[in-house]
Amino acid sequence: MLPDHFSAAERPVRQALADHAGKARHWHLADLFADDAGRFETLSRECCGLLVDYSKQRLTGETLDLLRELARARDLEGWIRALFEGSDVNWTEARPALHWRLREQAAAAPEVHDQLARMGEIVDQVLRGQWRGCHGDAITDVVNVGVGGSDLGPLMASYALADFRPEHGRRPNLHFVSSMDGSQIAPLLNDLNPATTLIVVSSKSFTTLDTLANAETARAWLERAFPDQQRALMRCHFVGVSANPEKMSEWGIHPCNQLLFWEWVGGRFSLWSAIGLPIALTVGMQGFHELLEGAREMDRHFREAPLADNLPVILGLVDVWNINFLDITARAVLPYDGRLKHFPSYLEQLEMESNGKSVTRDGTPVDYHTCPVIWGEVGSNAQHAFYQLLHQGTQPVACDFIVAGRYVPPHGDAEGGEHQRLARQHRLTLANCLAQSRLLALGGRALPDDQHDQPAFKQYRGNQPSTTLMLDELSPRRLGSLVALYEHKVFVESVLWGINPFDQWGVEMGKVIARDMVPVLETGDGLDGLDASTRGLVRRARS
Amino acid sequence: MRIDVFGDTLCASVTAAALAQSGHEVCWFIPEGRVLDAVNEGRVPYREPGLGELLGEQRAAGRLRCEPMTLNGAPAAPAVFLALQPGAQALAGEIADWLAGSGACGLLVNQSVFPVGTSEALQGRLAEARSPARVVALPETLQEGVAIDSFLRPHHILLGCDDPQAETLMREILRPFNRRRDVIRVMGLREAEFTKLAISGMLATRLSYMNDMALLAEQLDVDIDTVRQGVGSDPRIGEAYLYAGCGFGGSGFSRDVMSLTDTLRSKEVSAKLLEQVMEINERQKEVLFRRFWRHFEGEVAGRRVAIWGAAFKPGSDRVDNGPALKLIEALWAQDVQVHVHDPLALPELEAWAGGHPDLILHDDPYQAAAEADALMLVTEWKQYWSPDWSRLRDSMGTPLILDGRNIYDPDYVRGQGLLYHGIGRG
Repeated sequence: MLPDHFSAAERPVRQALADHAGKARHWHLADLFADDAGRFETLSRECCGLLVDYSKQRLTGETLDLLRELARARDLEGWIRALFEGSDVNWTEARPALHWRLREQAAAAPEVHDQLARMGEIVDQVLRGQWRGCHGDAITDVVNVGVGGSDLGPLMASYALADFRPEHGRRPNLHFVSSMDGSQIAPLLNDLNPATTLIVVSSKSFTTLDTLANAETARAWLERAFPDQQRALMRCHFVGVSANPEKMSEWGIHPCNQLLFWEWVGGRFSLWSAIGLPIALTVGMQGFHELLEGAREMDRHFREAPLADNLPVILGLVDVWNINFLDITARAVLPYDGRLKHFPSYLEQLEMESNGKSVTRDGTPVDYHTCPVIWGEVGSNAQHAFYQLLHQGTQPVACDFIVAGRYVPPHGDAEGGEHQRLARQHRLTLANCLAQSRLLALGGRALPDDQHDQPAFKQYRGNQPSTTLMLDELSPRRLGSLVALYEHKVFVESVLWGINPFDQWGVEMGKVIARDMVPVLETGDGLDGLDASTRGLVRRARS
Repeated sequence: MRIDVFGDTLCASVTAAALAQSGHEVCWFIPEGRVLDAVNEGRVPYREPGLGELLGEQRAAGRLRCEPMTLNGAPAAPAVFLALQPGAQALAGEIADWLAGSGACGLLVNQSVFPVGTSEALQGRLAEARSPARVVALPETLQEGVAIDSFLRPHHILLGCDDPQAETLMREILRPFNRRRDVIRVMGLREAEFTKLAISGMLATRLSYMNDMALLAEQLDVDIDTVRQGVGSDPRIGEAYLYAGCGFGGSGFSRDVMSLTDTLRSKEVSAKLLEQVMEINERQKEVLFRRFWRHFEGEVAGRRVAIWGAAFKPGSDRVDNGPALKLIEALWAQDVQVHVHDPLALPELEAWAGGHPDLILHDDPYQAAAEADALMLVTEWKQYWSPDWSRLRDSMGTPLILDGRNIYDPDYVRGQGLLYHGIGRG
């Protein structure tokens, strides 16, 4: 039994919040800070090596009290229990969402650890240079073929953690191929040696067209290199990761090279499973277990911490406040760390594919906003791109600043001159992060008095709200906590909005229509049934 | 003359014994460790042909004393030789300081393989301590397996020396080994050190070049061994170090090349060629494994492989850096049981393997090969050159001969009903 999203208690809370928001719309962050010297202490929390500062959000302690009342009216605590009890929280597909089980310890999740152990064997062979191609050469390059959750999560984390070397052995060169059109795989294969390349085909269903098209191209490339060695080729050069072993076998993945995960893991929540193979190849199995451990810490925090101290809950409530009560419908994700370059696109999928919904459990359309538009970029680069809009445009935008408090040299060389230089660069980046969030929040009032007499086009309005997430350091463990924090935040929001975050029906139909469009493009037949625009485009493409 | 020799390298032992044999009164100071233990227990520290006898004779004759190394005993001899382990520059410095304080020494001969410039630095250190002693560099060019002979009858001697008096003394010490014609080539300290590394680099390059050619030969279906003879007959090239094979090993050779690449890199000079040379060599060490893997199309788990020869070269008991180790690791990783025969190197191999269950050592080469799915010839000990083919054919599980040194005649072996693959022989 799932808890109810809606109860009679909600109406008065919602009204109280609306009244409160009526006042809050006139607040300026500069005043909020001026009025309350203890604002940071009240409006920041710390756990799992993460400091979350939401004091630059346009809210007060009272706001959060009211939001928590709304959460209780929506039975958030009941929903959190339902998630961790394995109820069918994914009600449109009648199944639970158990991604948190992927980080449980061996005794609690033996089947998960069976697969981790199998992944560990593959990782060990590759790192030790003992995974062999069909001519007996050691594998030097691994190509991850996947899209969506089978691409963004492993890509994000492998890139973020590249400083952390495996405890033994030699990391292979990792490559990611996702785009359907072959524009990524064709030039990549040109540069690789088939004898030393391992292809990892990752797809939950193992029917994803984009992925299979790329995998077929890779197979044809290997077959050209090793004609008449079909069996050895499949055994030596392909690993499959999927929840569908039958389809893997059908495609030709050798049973020994099949890594499994489960229907109860959503693709965008799957980097903790064997989908994370590239991450494990980057940091080694020990590092991968640290990643899981960091997420497990966040799971425990989410289950146990009271709502007032619960980070995923707080962040979820803040988002709901911004979108539904302050009408801020855009959010920018701004990591001040080049290693987190792929984090924005990872979050775009996690949040927008999860909460880009508008129908409640009983099928009624919602009459409020759900997930905002989310985009992002490495903050220091974005300063030279879209920060102009944040500072002086007309759109209110909430920002997430993400930064590591401390710079840890990758190879333990704490004394070297290069380390000193990199530590200096890190400080510079951190300074920019703090300066930007300050200027966005306070506007002209962040500036010295003599700067106030500026012409209008030089003025900063401020009052753009932001949250700053400061990691102790960017390590496998802390990245695990950070990602799990966002996962749970997404769930909190979905409860507040009364929607299912674990399905993605909105992306299904496009695939079907695309299939029907192929023959139209090939033959030109069937144009009559199309709209004028598509007809015109097809004709042009065929001419 | 009284001569002190410091170090526990093969070069130290050969130098001490050979100088004693030519009439000097030699004291060999040995740092703590395996070599000192062996000498104290009356064992031969290196399995080097003739070394045990020579050391025994010289000790019995009273011309050679072996002592644990100490820097506060008797005053230094007039000539002191340093043949320390690579990387032991700090110890060399300490010895130089002791010499300077000890007064009697006039000549410090550095045979150790140190980075280029170390001898010069030692000279500077002595000068600073106001010692009159001169440093010369006498880079070791010993070939393991024939080390005694290469010291007693050297083909060439590199002498780095910037001082006429020191040269005179060095020539006097080397006179017994420099008789038929003058093979001493005098150059600067740095030049001598660098020449030694450059020689190793060139030899390694020749080998890796031939191994690359062997790959091509296989594709083109020609026999690299025939090509080798043709190439070697060109006097501009010469015959030495042209054998394609399953990779070179040993500590000295690879270490020199690595030291050279490090030197190049530290001077920000690109070391691409030598890096390739080493990479090709590492790859080459697995060439027999790849043959084996391809023969069974990767289905090798649970199979059994025999290896003949684990020493990095015939005549040695050393296995370090040799192809056998890499092969064994590759085979283990695929759950293949490895049976090894070697006339000398089994104890070293056993120590390296640390009791791995998939390594079985044999005193008899045919027992090692029995039931095996492949026989890999890794070290060309003389006793392997003419095996009983019919016995092998009948006792092996799969009569697959993988000849890592191209010592067999492919047609003959095949004619005996066995399967044969060499290196670069189609």
